[in-house]
Amino acid sequence: MDEARSIGAGDLRVLHHPVLGDLPVSRPVQITVDGQPLVAREGEAIAAALLAHGILVCRTMPRGREPRGLFCALGRCTDCLMTVDGEPNVRACLTPVREGQDIWTQAGLGRWEGPAG
Amino acid sequence: MKSTAIAVIGAGPAGIAAALAAAEAGAAVTLIDEHPAVGGQLRWRIAPLRGLDDALDGLPVCRAAETLHERLAAADVSVLTGAVAWGLFEDGCLAVATPGGSFLLQAEKIVVATGSVDLVLPFPGWTLPGVMTARAAQIMLHLHRVLPGRRVAVVGEGPDAAEIVHDLEMAGAEVVLRAADPAQVVASGEGRVERVSANGERREANAVVIALGRQPDPELALQAQVDLGYSTRLDCHLPLRSELLETSRPGLYVAGEAAGAVDLAESFAEGRLAGLAAAGATLERIAAAQEALARARSPERSAEVDRLRPGSPGEARPETGVGTPWASWAEAAAAGGQDDALAQVALCRCEQVTIGEVRQAIEEGAVTINDIKRRTRAGMGLCQGIFCARAMALLLHASRGIPLSEIVPMTERPPTRPIPLASLVEVEE
Ligand SMILES: Cc1cc2nc3c(=O)[nH]c(=O)nc-3n(C[C@H](O)[C@H](O)[C@H](O)COP(=O)(O)OP(=O)(O)OC[C@H]3O[C@@H](n4cnc5c(N)ncnc54)[C@H](O)[C@@H]3O)c2cc1C
Ligand code: FES
Repeated sequence: MDEARSIGAGDLRVLHHPVLGDLPVSRPVQITVDGQPLVAREGEAIAAALLAHGILVCRTMPRGREPRGLFCALGRCTDCLMTVDGEPNVRACLTPVREGQDIWTQAGLGRWEGPAG
Repeated sequence: MKSTAIAVIGAGPAGIAAALAAAEAGAAVTLIDEHPAVGGQLRWRIAPLRGLDDALDGLPVCRAAETLHERLAAADVSVLTGAVAWGLFEDGCLAVATPGGSFLLQAEKIVVATGSVDLVLPFPGWTLPGVMTARAAQIMLHLHRVLPGRRVAVVGEGPDAAEIVHDLEMAGAEVVLRAADPAQVVASGEGRVERVSANGERREANAVVIALGRQPDPELALQAQVDLGYSTRLDCHLPLRSELLETSRPGLYVAGEAAGAVDLAESFAEGRLAGLAAAGATLERIAAAQEALARARSPERSAEVDRLRPGSPGEARPETGVGTPWASWAEAAAAGGQDDALAQVALCRCEQVTIGEVRQAIEEGAVTINDIKRRTRAGMGLCQGIFCARAMALLLHASRGIPLSEIVPMTERPPTRPIPLASLVEVEE
């Protein structure tokens, strides 16, 4: 893993910004998404960590397994529902990443699997 | 049950101004916002601020949010962030959900300052991952420092679209296509956006940003069934308000974009007036706040506000014509049979109800939004219709000729958010 990735700087990370300045160094937070390890930035929303690494799909819909991802980022549309640590219907756009979080793409209405571990 | 003299819902510029003013007038104030920090839309915008006060003007908008937070801390306002007000019941009783569960809050006066959400309209491919609202794009760019994509198409025109184009380019994304009219846009790809076409141009793109403008979101006031009037500028219904911004329900005020305020300066000035009025401040203070509000409004907006007073039904939209760019969308949506490009497109994202199914419900006799809802489930999903009610109204208008002013918003019921069932059980008494 190169250094950029280890500070949570995925492909789509804005490292330099003319108004906001350089991306501050943050503590890396280790999460897994569909079983794959991924490094996120402390304090960010799950959906942001995923998007930074080019992962766009959060859930599939009951009808036709249509994929959905971040749409409103406000907690209103529920297109970003994921199963997090066994709990279904967690809004990835509002929920911050946490060390060791186990995140799964949610199929349909999700299924309660109890806390992982 | 917890209680407070004044509950302010929404900590954007309007809610913050209301809370500060009410506290200044000596009232006990609770300010509630569902986001983790105060500031509302200020938190993720970086354009230079204009029209608030000398200490703030010129700062990037997001820095002003920090300053306002300091002012709240200095005033004696109790601030609850990460808390959604999901129900407004009789006699000023609010249901509030936090990650730790729900509680009831009894308030003598309530100021609803819940702002707006982005206006969206369906086009083929609009449910693909990679398609998002302008606000989502700003939140990703500025709060989380992530590009929505490297190659982005922007749908919409006007100042909000211009701002997001500028934001995207400043952060290093390439805006590969701009389209004013959502009726002309098609996004496609395998499981995510890969291509976008509009007006005969076709580009490879990995994100589409919808920037059609904003729509007021006075959900809690709608739950309280306040009297509404029609705004022809926004093509939607708004709460009718007295000179002091009180609705037809005594003690319930609406301020800021939730009531149709045009910009930040007006939202801030409305918030201050509502806060002072709710706290029963002195007449001198209230008069000064009214003057400041009048200065923050354009003559057109002042005239609109006068039409939206109790006892006047706003202004009826002429039978034909809807504000652009929605007119051509409405026509296209109403025109097709069952197999045109729009028939299979979801109108209601949550319940996956297609435009074709809504057309059919209208053909079979649906004449109100509630009719469509009952027949198709459109608008019954978790978003409570906030992202589809406008499209339904336009489709009804264009296919049946019903003036938009006569299409009443759908009935709002608590909860206004998809809160966990456990929250309902846990409401502490
Ligand atoms: C792209 C863009 C460009 C803009 N450009 C300009 C400009 O150039 N000049 C200008 O003056 N203005 C501009 N604005 C508008 C300006 O940001 C708004 O006028 C202002 O933010 C409105 O303030 P408000 O307090 O009414 O609402 P908001 O800022 O939207 O705040 C509402 C708050 O209420 C909270 N909330 C909603 N419902 C609930 C609930 N049920 N429970 C708890 N909390 C809730 C929300 O989380 C939010 O924090 C722009 C906006 C955008 C998006
Ligand atoms: S993106 Fe809309 S709820 Fe999360």
